[in-house]
Amino acid sequence: MNLSLNEIEATAKRAARGAGYPWGLAEEAGKATRWLCSRDLDGCRALTELLERIDGKNIAGWLPQTGSEPWTARDGILCPLATGAAISDRAHELDGKDIRLGAVAVPVFLAPFAALLAREFEKPVEVVLGDLVLCTDGGLLSSTGAPPSSSVEASICIGGTIDQPYSHRLRADPDAKDWAALLAFAHRTYAPATDESRLRGAGAGLSDND
Amino acid sequence: MTQKAAHIARRDPARVMKLRRLGSLHQCRLSFMRILTRRMADEGWSFTRPVFDIDANGVGRAVYIAAGPARSYSLVAFAHDLPDELRSDRVIAEAWDATFALFDGIPTQDDIDRLAKNVPLQEAGRVSERELALSRANRSVRLWAHLVDALAAGNQPDPDMIDNVGYLMRTTAVYGSGKFGAADREMIADRPELQVPFQAEMLSVYLTRIFVRDLVQHMARAKGGDRAADLEPAIARRLGIGNSTGLGMAPFIVNHPVLFNNWIMAREEAISRVRSIDIATSEEIAVFLDRLARTEISVAGWRSAHPIQIAKLADLRGDLSRLRDFVGGSNLDGPEPWNRLVLWSESALSEEGQELVASLILEPYGQLVDGLAHCMADSNAGAFRIDGAMPIGQVRQLLEASFGWALKLDWQNPQNCARAWYVSEEKLEPRLGERFEEPVSDYEQPLAPARDAASAYAELKNWDDSVSIAGFLLKHPEHRHTVRRAQISRIAPYGEIQDNTIAADVMPIDMLRAKLSFFGATHFDPRSDRWVRICMYAGAPYPEELAPTNADDWVFPELPV
Repeated sequence: MNLSLNEIEATAKRAARGAGYPWGLAEEAGKATRWLCSRDLDGCRALTELLERIDGKNIAGWLPQTGSEPWTARDGILCPLATGAAISDRAHELDGKDIRLGAVAVPVFLAPFAALLAREFEKPVEVVLGDLVLCTDGGLLSSTGAPPSSSVEASICIGGTIDQPYSHRLRADPDAKDWAALLAFAHRTYAPATDESRLRGAGAGLSDND
Repeated sequence: MTQKAAHIARRDPARVMKLRRLGSLHQCRLSFMRILTRRMADEGWSFTRPVFDIDANGVGRAVYIAAGPARSYSLVAFAHDLPDELRSDRVIAEAWDATFALFDGIPTQDDIDRLAKNVPLQEAGRVSERELALSRANRSVRLWAHLVDALAAGNQPDPDMIDNVGYLMRTTAVYGSGKFGAADREMIADRPELQVPFQAEMLSVYLTRIFVRDLVQHMARAKGGDRAADLEPAIARRLGIGNSTGLGMAPFIVNHPVLFNNWIMAREEAISRVRSIDIATSEEIAVFLDRLARTEISVAGWRSAHPIQIAKLADLRGDLSRLRDFVGGSNLDGPEPWNRLVLWSESALSEEGQELVASLILEPYGQLVDGLAHCMADSNAGAFRIDGAMPIGQVRQLLEASFGWALKLDWQNPQNCARAWYVSEEKLEPRLGERFEEPVSDYEQPLAPARDAASAYAELKNWDDSVSIAGFLLKHPEHRHTVRRAQISRIAPYGEIQDNTIAADVMPIDMLRAKLSFFGATHFDPRSDRWVRICMYAGAPYPEELAPTNADDWVFPELPV
């Protein structure tokens, strides 16, 4: 499937909402998925993995507890969207310091938020996932290998260099299975079709043959 | 014109952003259709029709090319033979009288064949990054039949019939910006001719109007043969393209606060600049009086069967009479004539009349106003990021500024939250439901910023004003979208509708009209509280007539000779 990035963002936002995220984090999911796709990474695969893991769980248990490092989640695994958003929100407290994180689900989703930090600090920012390092200056993104889909401990570090960045893309080609999964999550946000809804909800006239 | 720096401030968002006022906006020099026709005339765009392959039943395809100085764009049109029982303007329709794509460049035969397999399906098909817009239109059955019959019999159509309806076809959706596979705006936003919002969509509709004129002529010839008359150009010019719009536009303006702000702020800045003019020259006053007289003709021909619009039109006609009296004397002589006129209108006219005055005073001042068109796009991608360092006290102040009135409202009172915006699984049609009568609240879209602001504000009261908002957001992710909007309001003071979008008495047509007025629409004709028909491009010159002298004032009907 060849899709526009607006389609990616709109569906990602609805899918995240359908999986139980509040609207503000669903907006972050939309932007983050779009950002990954525009850096030639498979954002739809990443979001599908995340939503399938988190579906049916209480998202509150996946939020970061930021009182001490490493940040951890009450139920064990950090949500990368909530964690990334919290890192971006706390940029003013970082002041050049690294942040250590416990196990993060689908950690490639930290990259778009690292990019927000990089823009804020006007310096590259690294997402360190064990041996693998993603580095972004806010626009470009490079990686020393294929980002893992499993949950791994992570660090966000100010600095680094970008080597052989991913190419910038204005379209996305998700796997059909992933796209179908996201559409299925998104579908949960749509009200069932009923005759009453059909007649009342749109408020159109009965005939357009005039 | 004697001008000092603008010293009359822009109008207060608390006044401008009320739904009743937004629902009374009129087109102005900054309307997207007028911006497009001015550019096409100034740059000498050329227009050709390399394909018009349509049979005697009106079925086939056509291509119209608009060539600007750097690039060409092509409308690929498909004409269908639609049975009456399938004709519906709603999103849930599955067939139309005509379907269109705006192609980026000049399509090859392969491109046209690809589009032929997809464009007639609309939402059920796919377009590609080579397409900038996807749209469809339905006939006005009565006017279409009248024109075909009259021309086929060798006669011209009845002008009253034309003025009663206004258009031969009405578009029922014009999708752009990445919808259904089309090119995203960011792929084209750096082109000068598409930098202003909705220029691709407006071009698509401009070309559609030519196609519809040509199609009705073709059908008349097919029916009447040698007897058929050619539609007189002066009559053709009166024909616009209709648009039939439901609730989809309402979510758009709530979901794009920076973009919507930029439209409103550009117009408010223009109004402020003109109000600040010290003395108007006799030529400038003459332009204003000319546009006013022509507006009276337009308003006289503005018809609606909807009780709300009937009452508003009665008010507007009274307003025009008072306005005529006011400007007929020497009230535009002397200092700050436009500011005095606006201040007078605020006490003497209805909101329809006030907003008409605010738009009309811009007419003589293209040099002051037209450049603001470049400020109307949203290029501020950075506005999305939340500044977590902001103290909670400042977030509360921002919420008070946009929603102070909403904080006092009893949001438990069913009257104040009677409605819920949702998306139906039926072709994803946006709808508005009754929260306490239908099972829709589980599917509610975040389109009640005022209620959400009140909810976040109540929770923020439990927090220390001096601590940063980051901690609050971690604890309360359910308020994240509201905090984001509050922060966006710093750069977008006109970004929030300062009214209740889920009240029992909300009029969604007010939101639709606000958006459509910036397209440049006229003759708003509500079909219900959530559906409106309009007319676009009525009076506009066709390509063979388009020139700098007529590219801008066509929206005002010509005065009788």
